[in-house]
Amino acid sequence: MQTPVIVREFRAGLAAGDLLVQSCHDCGKPNMWPRYACPHCQSENLGWLKSAGTGTLHSFCVLRQGAPEGYEEDLPYAIGVVKLDEGVQLAVRLEPQSDGDWSAYQCDDRVEFVAVDAAQIEKRPCATFRRAVG
Amino acid sequence: MAEEWKLHVAPGAANDPVFVGVGEIPTGKFPERGFIQALTKVALLALKDAGMVPRDIDTILLIPNLHGAADQADLVFSRMVEELGIHGTCKSSYMVHSGGSTSDNAVRSAHGLIATGHAQNVLVLQCERWGSADLNEMITMLSKNGIPGEWELPTGIQFNAIGAMITRRYMHASGSTAAEMASVCVTLRNWANLNENAMFYHKPLTVEQILASRMVADPLHSYECPPMADGACAFVMTSTENAKKRGISNAVRVAGSGGCVSHYCLSQEKDQAVLGWPLAAERAWNQSGWGPQDADIAEIYDSYAAVTTIGIEGIGIAEKGEGARWFAEGNGNPGGKLPMNTNGGLLSAGHTGVGGGTALLVEGIRQLLHRAPSKRQVEDCQRAIIGGSGGSYMDAQILLLERTKLGA
Repeated sequence: MQTPVIVREFRAGLAAGDLLVQSCHDCGKPNMWPRYACPHCQSENLGWLKSAGTGTLHSFCVLRQGAPEGYEEDLPYAIGVVKLDEGVQLAVRLEPQSDGDWSAYQCDDRVEFVAVDAAQIEKRPCATFRRAVG
Repeated sequence: MAEEWKLHVAPGAANDPVFVGVGEIPTGKFPERGFIQALTKVALLALKDAGMVPRDIDTILLIPNLHGAADQADLVFSRMVEELGIHGTCKSSYMVHSGGSTSDNAVRSAHGLIATGHAQNVLVLQCERWGSADLNEMITMLSKNGIPGEWELPTGIQFNAIGAMITRRYMHASGSTAAEMASVCVTLRNWANLNENAMFYHKPLTVEQILASRMVADPLHSYECPPMADGACAFVMTSTENAKKRGISNAVRVAGSGGCVSHYCLSQEKDQAVLGWPLAAERAWNQSGWGPQDADIAEIYDSYAAVTTIGIEGIGIAEKGEGARWFAEGNGNPGGKLPMNTNGGLLSAGHTGVGGGTALLVEGIRQLLHRAPSKRQVEDCQRAIIGGSGGSYMDAQILLLERTKLGA
């Protein structure tokens, strides 16, 4: 089964170093995850905007064991839910702090999008964030 | 503010649906116990409890399993009708599914079928074999349930990660400590120690043991994660008129229900420390005419401690932010202010997949029928709050049940 076009375009954005948020050409509202029709006005006239890549961390966890099949080699890894400043939310990977752990992270921390290389996006097509500096 | 939304069935009316029997077998690891064997056993136990024989049943509602597609197909294609010998007379057999909240929706389905006359005597059946299944296969299967493969699975998310994120947000919002969170698990274990059918009947548990267990998904320790188990249970519903004809004098009715589907994937939930409970509760209280202070017991979905503390706050059992401390003070314990998850819950009786919520519901019905073993029967139990949640805690479902005396 072919990957849907909205998924391919979102992932192409990540591979190019951009976090894309779906935007409705009719009502102007952002949608995340991207939808096939705008959940606000039901328009199918949808496009993309480039996110500023900043937001707050609603919650996160550090998975230390019991990874799904194919993810075992990533352990340990941290997953978070980020509320973007554009008003939508998404699940992301969190970059570890300098000592390799995530103990400095807290809920409601300001976080920022980190561009990762296209090979990594090919393997793990999801956004990565880290604590914002300052 | 919830809209006015009443049930169209009067208490004690001829068509008022009632629970009249339950059946259950032990939860744990039983590799030698077959799927169909277990279903047959609980069906016969529930029928006996209801004073019925298989021929009395016209409708079977099936709670799904998550361990295997072949067993699921057997259920969907009416195997239990034949196993019980009611092929040729049974009117309808079908599956209801919304994950952990399935039992709540199965009750709504049976309730509607009975009240409108589409069904007379309904048997609801559940069996899961998680305890005997391959653990790695189940982890991978669960990472594809309630998680959108194209958007979220690439992060490596799975069920403990979801439970951990909800727990962390809840602890952040409420200021609850790790020891207070662990006290929820201890309350559940105290109840399991009174339930011979519970997976951990013989094993006491302390806060210290929990906090010393290894970290699985920060902030969750291994003893705070649900133990996957084999289990099966069943219940029977009929109309008040049929129950009276059968000489049944005490039964359990549905005073009201409320629900809210707040998201599909966890990342789209606005507040992981609240979920859909407040709206679900408002809808339920509107229908029942009684409130949380009137309940004698509560059976609230507990795949992780925070799932329950968030639930009891939204339902109004504990003040906002005080759910974990409510448990730490012993309020949910045997002999406590409001006995909570009196079978031991998913965390201590065992997590039987979709069946975890069914087991809590069956325990609530059993308590209201005054048929629990004496050591854990809550005295003069008249009203119960049942709460369920499915998928990535996508919904909050509440059933308000009450014991009812049927006139001679």
